[in-house]
Amino acid sequence: MSEPHRAAAVPTGRPRRPHRPTPVGPHRPRVRRPLRLTLLAATVALAAVAAGCSGGDPDAPDTPDPAAAATATGGVSGPLCASLPTGTDPGNPESLAGEPVDVAVRWIPVLTTFDAAVRATGLAAELRGAQGVTVLAPTDDAFARKFSASNLDELLIHDRDTLRQLLRAHLVDGSYSLAELVAAGSVTTMDGTRLTVAPAESTARIGDVAQAVCADYRVAGGRIHLIDAVLGNLPTTAGRDDDPAH
Amino acid sequence: MRIRRPSVVVLSGLLAATLGAVTAPSTALGQPASATTAAEPNQVTNLTVTQADGYATLAWTPVEGATDYQIERTPVDANDEPIGPSVVVGIWRPNRQINNDSPTFADAGFNPGDRFRWRVRARFGTEEQPYSAPVTGTTLQPWGDPDVPGENLRTQWETTKAAQYTSDTNEYAYTAEIDRLSDRVRVVEIGRTVLGRPINMFVFGYPTPPTTPEAVAATSPVAINCNVHGNEPGDREACLIMARQLAFSNDPRIIDILSHTTVLIVPTINGDGRAANTRGNSTGQDLNRDYSLIRQPETAAFVRMVRDYRPIASYDGHEYGNTRAGDLPMLPPRHQNVAQSIFDQSQDMIEGFMYARGAEDGWWPCPYGCEGGGNVGLGEETILRNTLGLKNVVNSLLELRSSGGQTRPDEGNTANNRRRKTYSALWTFHRLLDYHRAKAAEIKRARAEAIGFQASNSGRIVFRGSHPIPARPAPHPAEAVPPLDEPRPDMILDDAPCAYKLTPEQYLGARTDGPGGVGATLAERIAAHGWKVVKAADGYYVPLAQPERGLIPLLLDAQGAEEWVGGQRVYPTLTGRHNGPLTVTGFTCIADGTVNGPVTVQPGATLVAYRTTFNGPVTATGAAGVVLGDVTLHGPLQVANSAGPVSLVGNTVSGPVNLVGNGGADAPLVAGNTINGPLSCTGNAAKPTAIEVPNSVKGPRSGQCAAL
Repeated sequence: MSEPHRAAAVPTGRPRRPHRPTPVGPHRPRVRRPLRLTLLAATVALAAVAAGCSGGDPDAPDTPDPAAAATATGGVSGPLCASLPTGTDPGNPESLAGEPVDVAVRWIPVLTTFDAAVRATGLAAELRGAQGVTVLAPTDDAFARKFSASNLDELLIHDRDTLRQLLRAHLVDGSYSLAELVAAGSVTTMDGTRLTVAPAESTARIGDVAQAVCADYRVAGGRIHLIDAVLGNLPTTAGRDDDPAH
Repeated sequence: MRIRRPSVVVLSGLLAATLGAVTAPSTALGQPASATTAAEPNQVTNLTVTQADGYATLAWTPVEGATDYQIERTPVDANDEPIGPSVVVGIWRPNRQINNDSPTFADAGFNPGDRFRWRVRARFGTEEQPYSAPVTGTTLQPWGDPDVPGENLRTQWETTKAAQYTSDTNEYAYTAEIDRLSDRVRVVEIGRTVLGRPINMFVFGYPTPPTTPEAVAATSPVAINCNVHGNEPGDREACLIMARQLAFSNDPRIIDILSHTTVLIVPTINGDGRAANTRGNSTGQDLNRDYSLIRQPETAAFVRMVRDYRPIASYDGHEYGNTRAGDLPMLPPRHQNVAQSIFDQSQDMIEGFMYARGAEDGWWPCPYGCEGGGNVGLGEETILRNTLGLKNVVNSLLELRSSGGQTRPDEGNTANNRRRKTYSALWTFHRLLDYHRAKAAEIKRARAEAIGFQASNSGRIVFRGSHPIPARPAPHPAEAVPPLDEPRPDMILDDAPCAYKLTPEQYLGARTDGPGGVGATLAERIAAHGWKVVKAADGYYVPLAQPERGLIPLLLDAQGAEEWVGGQRVYPTLTGRHNGPLTVTGFTCIADGTVNGPVTVQPGATLVAYRTTFNGPVTATGAAGVVLGDVTLHGPLQVANSAGPVSLVGNTVSGPVNLVGNGGADAPLVAGNTINGPLSCTGNAAKPTAIEVPNSVKGPRSGQCAAL
């Protein structure tokens, strides 16, 4: 296991520095809450309850949800996890444990846009070279809500510097579980932006704009948390009239 | 293709009782699934589930007063014990199909091969009625026997259970294996992308495909373009699965189809965009705004393919973000320059065939645009749907609704959604083959009529604007349609010219509108479209009286919305009556004329005539070009030793027709003519062709025209 920080580890291994926005900030999230381990336990318990609820139809048989069980064994949690590869399916969380970030994102079906962005910007090497990285990866739906198709093409094809900076707004130096981020209460991404991280529903709310929808993919050298909104400061272009149809 | 098999499972009394106790206390114990009378008021009866490739068709007897139905699916093990939650995966509603008295629903999105139990219940408004008795079945495994070479090939998308799309390298390896293992397929590289990726096309025939493009064209083939937008990959996965089926299936239906025509599949026209997950190609150009302009190598490759292989029917695959659309939005070529017969036949394919088959199998085709579709589905000739229509190909756009939409509430943007999209595309493409098989004669007639119409250079020219798509009273799949899109006045040219004249600079000059500021010359692009061009002393003439008349002005007239150049409009030089001999020198164009006397085309001169009657012989020797469309000729026609194009389309000749020693690089076009006399062709540099539009010849056909 090449991951430097395991589940309950707290970011104490390096000197803590006060948060100050910097262009690229390899900062540790500041630990603000003394009860972080307690909080971690509570978060996991909440996630388990949420995942076990099949919800909806009162006539539905009260059978255990195998997806939820697989979620538990895979170590990931969040409302989207059951819709992603589970159990022994290709791309299940355990199968990604030894894969570098750029390979792992290719296996997570809702990260096709994020994957394309990583490849377009050549960030894969950087991600592999890092000592540990946390990826706040927006889902395809998140990208679709943020950017028009033409805007996204522009970023992927012509404006890769902007796209690279956008990706840095989703990367954190150091490998952290979602519980650790929640415990710290905030995190600074590689573009120097400090984001609050607060428990919300069964997971966490990040930067007041994104919800973690399936957290804690453990991969070689890092963690991947799927989020439902694009971070960073680019303007929203989705739904503009110039969005092309067929 | 496996034959669809009904799999109504009548549960044993014991099993039904067990399930009933677990899942639906209200269901009468021991009631078989095929019960004809409801055990309870308003309970759905006669539920059947039929398995097909990647989907299961549910059908049931409607409940009086129901406003919609919910379809529930529960995963079960081999003993029919539930192994997961019961989920409402489908909402049937009346506008999904044309016949509401026989409701069907294609359930899809599950992993093929898994086993499920289905139930259906009616709702009166929001009031849920009792569920039907359950029906259990095992869905079909991904097509192909795992123990049979070839059949056992699988794409990356299939082996990863839709976690990953098939990569370029996986596609190439899979394609090569199909090519290696099946005699029915030939894989042709039709071009390369901007970044140099091969663009492959599968050519399928039984027992083997014809060996040349011309021989393929003779079979009036059917074509599928699977993936023009790199970020819309669902149709491409269907095409790759379909390629395996066509290569290896022993289903009599497949053998029958491949014995009667050739199937052309281009899985990835935009390989660079697919690899980068972008809509456009590597330059950012949306290729589906370039099929007329062909500035990019990808679109140019496709257009050259159409020129050489001459498909008569086609689909173009996409995905679509409108959540209120049906499963399968479709749209015919609408540009108003598309011949009425092509528009009508395309509408017949969509409304006459796809809607009916959709109602049988539970899919929901509908007009593109649909409810809330906005200003889409219009007449841009740059879009393949319209470009192909202007090339007299019966065709449709196909969209796969990106989201679960209003009737598939369980879908997220995950594997279940991807599988539904891909298998609905697979269904559509197979139905395209069925339509071609059933209606090939009609399609060919529509195409012949269209080519004859275009070559007559009749009627106004519309630069932008659409044929209307009629809406149907709700509930109906066509209750919402795309905008009317009438042409604006400045997009209409009532007085069509005879030809466009291009200067050498326009025709041969370097272009800067291609990738990296380098583009093919108009000479090369016009050749890719396959138009006849007359090289005269004073310039290059592109006559309109030829099969792609509807497309030519859109690219060569300054009034066009997206033209290449503003060519000079050349109007007819002679209309009305001319008595006495006529000697043609220079460029002569006769429209709506009557010539009483012999016509002699001098060496180096050009004769273009349409909607004209000649009473007397027409003789051309050493002409720069002879182009006749919708001409009535009482007398012999002799065209010899022309330096440029010879095109005879839709003419009636009372007398012998003789084509001798014509030297133009293009094959003389002899299509849709009625010749009351012999037809003789000898010594022409290229063998004359009819482009599958038959001629009626009373006398003997000989020489190079023996088979026309």
